[in-house]
Amino acid sequence: MAAARVNEQVQLNQPGLVAAEAVTSRKPVVLIWARRFQRWFFLALVYLLLIDIAFAFLLPVIYMASTSLMTVQDFLDPGVYWIPRQVYWDNIVLAFQSMNYLVGLKNSATIVFFGTLGQIISCSLAGYGFARYRFPGRDFLFMMVLFTFIVPPQTIIVPLFILYRELGWIDTFLPFTVPAFLSHGLRGSLLVLIFRQFFMRQPYELEEAAYIDGCSPWRTYAQIMLPLARPALLVVFLFSLVWHWNDYYEPTMYLMKPQNFTVPLRLRILQQGLQEITGGQAGELFNEPLMMAACFLVVLPPLILYLMTQRFFVESIERTGLVD
Amino acid sequence: MKLSLRTRSALNGYMFILPWLVGFSVFVARPFLHSIRLAFSSVDMIAGFKLNPVGWANFREAFFVDERFVPILVQVIQRNLVDVPIILTFALFTAFLVNQKIRGRVFFRAVFFLPVVIASGLVVERLFQQNVGSIEAVVGLNIPTLVYMYLPARFADIVVDVLTRLTLILWRSGIQILLFIAGLQGISPTLYEASRIDGATDWEIFWKITLPMLSPIIVVNTIYTIVDGFTDIFNPMVNFIREVAFSGSFRLGYAAALGWIYFILIFLLIGLVFISSKRWVFYGGSREG
Repeated sequence: MAAARVNEQVQLNQPGLVAAEAVTSRKPVVLIWARRFQRWFFLALVYLLLIDIAFAFLLPVIYMASTSLMTVQDFLDPGVYWIPRQVYWDNIVLAFQSMNYLVGLKNSATIVFFGTLGQIISCSLAGYGFARYRFPGRDFLFMMVLFTFIVPPQTIIVPLFILYRELGWIDTFLPFTVPAFLSHGLRGSLLVLIFRQFFMRQPYELEEAAYIDGCSPWRTYAQIMLPLARPALLVVFLFSLVWHWNDYYEPTMYLMKPQNFTVPLRLRILQQGLQEITGGQAGELFNEPLMMAACFLVVLPPLILYLMTQRFFVESIERTGLVD
Repeated sequence: MKLSLRTRSALNGYMFILPWLVGFSVFVARPFLHSIRLAFSSVDMIAGFKLNPVGWANFREAFFVDERFVPILVQVIQRNLVDVPIILTFALFTAFLVNQKIRGRVFFRAVFFLPVVIASGLVVERLFQQNVGSIEAVVGLNIPTLVYMYLPARFADIVVDVLTRLTLILWRSGIQILLFIAGLQGISPTLYEASRIDGATDWEIFWKITLPMLSPIIVVNTIYTIVDGFTDIFNPMVNFIREVAFSGSFRLGYAAALGWIYFILIFLLIGLVFISSKRWVFYGGSREG
């Protein structure tokens, strides 16, 4: 109370001065404590809200992890809440077998590897071209990059399907890898944009020095600019990898045969796989713990990758200048 | 051959964007134009995708005959009008909290970005079939019943729809939170110091410094959220178009027409955001286009 009054007085007397500094000379102790209290209160509120929000975010993940370790009895028992009676690893094993996980992993890895590699190479080239060179039609073409971003896949899915069928690409991995090497595929235009923004922020001096020394544009790009772009490369690498792994829309379109299914698609044939393994014994009743175990296996690889890289990941997104 | 510096530089520029240009023509421009033709035709699958022109019939069917399309369209628009402001406000608010000088920032940031990494469409679908994302699951109260008690039915439907998809909506805000944090960190501290010396309160600083400085990112985030929302797995239109095109009847022409209506809708929405943004976005001093 006292502090507030003093504060008011000071502001009235000396407008334009930082209030705190002027006040400390009069009632230091009271004011310091008032400030501290205010700060604590504020921090407590911030923590409370953050923990709350984090809880809401993590709830589905916790649910997935805990359910996947339950037996069906535990899952159906209303007395069991979150913590299973005994940890039941068999779900994971069974899901692994029913999904034919290793085959899925091989398919996913192929798509992820070539898709990511292709997008990194081609999108960085395009981003560099748009950022550093002047050529007729550049602004129009760059508008087209933005345009590509907003065209929903649903609009062009039918012609693409027809195109891939004519090319004989259905049930191969080519619809995922070839567009990636041509800066398209999953949100390729966004990746071009990230690289363009990054290269635009770099100073010209290095490139000019390289040209004066007789370096060709390609070499300048490959040996000087690309190594500089490490933060952008990392972001694009992780985004591209995660998106390729998680993609479901295009794989459900272009992959028909179960042996070509990627890991996420295998959730759709889980029940069928279970029947095959158990010889029709299991699966009359929907087995939620098994399904959650399968989901857990699907998110596991990107999760591990994220846990290992999250520090760089989040920080380099902030540093790529995507926001500028 | 001697070329001027300018021509040579232009040629190099084309070389760099060549892969993109080829990809754009083959995988975007051509299908895009092709889908216009498809939209005005019916496709004969048996005769090797022969197109029979039918004029506006597909579009007429979408709006006047098909009893499923218009309700889905309305639902998609309505959901997006509700979700986009929620996601943006929530992302901004959360970015604000995380941007405070507190312990565990890294942890919280990692948690908020987690859904971007693990939200594989099909996993999310399975998870949310069990209703783990609803408000009851989060706070343990049966809020929807309360909402129906106190709000008019039409309004309550929307509120309950949002509440049952709560975590799902929050899960879509990972990238937006990150961009906002980056934006907040990009605001020069001198602006805050100057306004404090002039006696601005925290509230005034938020509205008069922070928000205008963030406005370019708000535009980016709005557009991203709209695009993201329109291609989401829970978006009924996505599934509807797929169903029309590929299950049973293979009505490719009609599906292309639906895809086109959908595109025009998104285009208009984003155009609206873009045009209106000219009025409220602040671009700081030395920015060059």
